[in-house]
Amino acid sequence: VASFLNGIRVISLSTGIAGPNAARMLANYGAEVFKIESRAGGLDAFRLYGDSPEASPRFVEVNLNTRSLTLNLKHPQGVALVKELAAQSDVVMDNFRPGVMERLGLGPDDLRAEHPELIVVRMPGLGSTGPLAEYGTWGPTLTAYSGLTYLWNHPGRERPVGSQGVYPDYLTGEMVPIAVVSALIARRRTGRGTVIDVAQVDLAAYMLGTILLDVLVNDRAAEPIGNQSAHFAPHNCYPCAGDDRWCVIAVGSDAEWEELRALAGLEPDPRFDTFAGRLHHRAELDELIGAWTSRHDPFEVMNRLQEAGVAAGVVQSGADLAADPQFAARGFIQTTSHRVLGDMPMAGLPLQFTNGGHEPYASPPPLGTDNEYVITELLGHSREELERWQREEVVY
Amino acid sequence: MLAGLTALDLSGLQGQFAGRILADLGMRVIKVEPTGGDPARGVGPFADDLPGRERSLRFAFLNGGKESVTLDVATADGRALFLELAGRADVMIESFAPGRLAELGLGWETLHERNPGLILASITGFGQYGPRAGWKAPDIVGVATGGLMYISGDPELPPVRPPETQGYYYASVFAAYGILLALWGGGGQHIDCSMEEAVATQEHMIREAAFDGVAITRNGSQHKHAAPANIFACKDGYVFLFVLAPPHWKAFLDVWPDHPPELDDEALRPPHKRRASIDVINPAVEEFTRRHTKAELVELLQGNGIPCLPVNSPSDFLAEEQIQVREFVGPVSSPALGDYAMPRFPALFDGARPPAAGAPPELGAGNAAVYGELGLDAADLELLAARGVI
Repeated sequence: VASFLNGIRVISLSTGIAGPNAARMLANYGAEVFKIESRAGGLDAFRLYGDSPEASPRFVEVNLNTRSLTLNLKHPQGVALVKELAAQSDVVMDNFRPGVMERLGLGPDDLRAEHPELIVVRMPGLGSTGPLAEYGTWGPTLTAYSGLTYLWNHPGRERPVGSQGVYPDYLTGEMVPIAVVSALIARRRTGRGTVIDVAQVDLAAYMLGTILLDVLVNDRAAEPIGNQSAHFAPHNCYPCAGDDRWCVIAVGSDAEWEELRALAGLEPDPRFDTFAGRLHHRAELDELIGAWTSRHDPFEVMNRLQEAGVAAGVVQSGADLAADPQFAARGFIQTTSHRVLGDMPMAGLPLQFTNGGHEPYASPPPLGTDNEYVITELLGHSREELERWQREEVVY
Repeated sequence: MLAGLTALDLSGLQGQFAGRILADLGMRVIKVEPTGGDPARGVGPFADDLPGRERSLRFAFLNGGKESVTLDVATADGRALFLELAGRADVMIESFAPGRLAELGLGWETLHERNPGLILASITGFGQYGPRAGWKAPDIVGVATGGLMYISGDPELPPVRPPETQGYYYASVFAAYGILLALWGGGGQHIDCSMEEAVATQEHMIREAAFDGVAITRNGSQHKHAAPANIFACKDGYVFLFVLAPPHWKAFLDVWPDHPPELDDEALRPPHKRRASIDVINPAVEEFTRRHTKAELVELLQGNGIPCLPVNSPSDFLAEEQIQVREFVGPVSSPALGDYAMPRFPALFDGARPPAAGAPPELGAGNAAVYGELGLDAADLELLAARGVI
C-alpha cells in the first residue's frame, strides 16, 4: 500500500532535534515535507556537526525523507513565498520562540485567514503563552524544569544527576505528529484545521502522571527511587564481568525467584521465600545476586535468566544495539545511503504494520534541491522570476 | 479531535498510556477487564495510601476517562461477546505475550475477518516475532536493552532507570501514533510495536556507534557536545544552564565579570571546544553559580538570552506560575477519590487545553451501557454475571 500520509504537504521551519524530528516522523510515513532553511543566517544548527553543512550525520538522521527549500525570511519576498506555499499545504510547523512567526506575518491568523483548513503547529519549550513564554530553552533544561531530572537518580543522593539524553526533543518527535494526524482526522469531519500549541515541557511532565497525581492527591514530596521497585523484588541493575557491564533483573513471582536462586547457586533461605521477604531483605539479596552476576558476561546472565523465564536485560551500549540479534531478526536497523557520507546504519521505525505504510529511509537532499520544483511547478512562477530571486538572495 | 471513534483497551501497564493519549484526544476508550479487575488496580501509589480496587492513582492516571466492562474472554460466551464488541470498534490495544490472543481464539486473522477495518495495536517488550519475542520485559528491561540506561546516571554509580515507567510509555506513544496513522489510512492494520525498539530510537546511539565510531557513556546530565551545559549548584538548589552558541558564551562571560581570564581564550568560542575543556570550565562556572539563588540565576541569564532553568522537584514544577497559568492540571471528580487535579494533554488546540480526562471507571461500571448497545438487557447481564462471563 502507499504510505499513510501520501498527499499531505507540510512546511517545516525548524532547527535542532525537536521540530525536525516531528517533521521527519511525518515524512517517514509519506508526507511531503519541505524543510525551509536559508544561507542568510537560517541554516539548521545541526549542519554544524559534521565536516560540512552537507555532511553532518546528525543532520541526516534527524531530517530523513524531508525535502529542501531555501527561502530568506529576512526578505519580504521570501516570506511571501512561504505564505504562497502555505496556501497549498496542510500543515505549517515551526520551533521558533513565541512571536517570531507573527512578526514575520506568518502567524496562525495570517496563514489561516483565507485557509481555515490549515493546521498550524508551534512548540516553544515552555509554551506560547504565560509569563515565561519568551524564555530560551534547550531539551535538558526542560527535563530539569519538569521534575524528571530531579527524579532520575539513585535514592538519597544530594545532587541531581539525570541523563545525557534530551528526552523532550524525542517526545516532541512523536507527540507533535500525534496531534497533527488527530487534527487531520478532525478536519475530515469539520473541514477546519487546528492551531496546535505544544509546550515541550508539558510533554515531559505528562510522562510523570502517576507521580504528579501522588503529589496532587496525597500531597507527597516525590523522591527518586533509582532502580528500586515496589512491585518486583529483586529489581535492580547488577554488575557483570567486563568493563562497566551491567544487567538488570526483575523478579515478579516466587517461581521466578526459585529459577534465579537455582541459576545463581544460592542456598534456599526462608527469608526470601515470599515477595514481602525479598522486598524487605532486598539489600542483602542484591549483594548475593551481584556477587554471582559479577563473575559472568552480561549477555550470558541475560540469556540464561530469560531462558528460565526470569526478566533480565543487558544495559546495552550503542555497539550492543547495533549488534542486537532481535533487531536483526526484525530488520529494525536501517542503512541509509548518503551521497557524501556513504552508508549509515541507524535506528529504524519501531512500528510494523500489516501493510507497509511508510517510506524507505532517504537522506535529505542537498540544500535548496527543491527550489525549482516549488517555485515554478507548485507556485507557478516563471523561471526568470526564480533566477531573479536567486540573484537577490531571496531564494537563497 | 477523535470524537466518534471507539477503542477497546485490553492492555496491561505496558500499553495503557496509548489509550490515555487517545482518550485525551476525544476517542471513546472501553477497557475490557478480567472479571476480577485489571491487575493495575492493585498497583500503587494509592489515594491516602489506602490500597483498594478503586484507589490506585497509577490506575487513575492511565485509565481516567475510559469506560470499564468486565469480560472473561477465555470462556466461549466471553469470546463471542468480545467479537461482537470488536465488530463495532475502530481500534483495539493489547499487550499480551505474543501468541496469547491467538490461543484465546482472538488472533489477528479472526479479528480482521470479523471487522476488516479494525486496527489492532500490540505493544510488547520485544515485538511479535524474533528470537526474543517471548522474553519477559517489565519496564526496566526495556530501558536497559533499548540503551537509555547506558547513558543515564552518575559514572561512579550503576546506570539508573528513569522515573515512573518510561519504557512502557514511550512504546505506547509510538503505538498511539501508529493507530492514528492507520486510522487516517483507512484502518485494517495490525501494528507490532516493540518497547526495545521504541527506546532505541532515542539519542542516535546506533548510528554514533556503528557509523561515527563514538561510544557515549553515562556522565550525569553533561551534554555530549556543549559546555557549560549541565546541572550547577546554587545557593538554594540547582539549575540547568546551557550555553551553546558563541554569542551566548560571550554574554555569559559578560554577566560574570570576575571570570577566570583563561576563559576569554578565543579557542573556547565553539561549543565543542568548551565541551573538551569541561574539567576547567565546569568547576569555575559552579563557583559563580553558587553565589546566587536559582531564581536570581534564571532571571540574570534569561535576561541575557541564555537558556537556564531551575532543577525542579515535581512539587516545584506544579507550583510554577507558568504551569499554573497554562492549566497543565485540571479538575476531576470521582466517587471513590473525591475532587482532585490531574495532568492534562500536553498541548492546546485553538488556544484551549483538552479537559482533564475524567474519573477512573469503577470495575464494570460500563457493563449496562456497553453491552446494552449490543442488545443485552439487565436480565441477560445478570445471567452472564452468574455464569462468570462478566
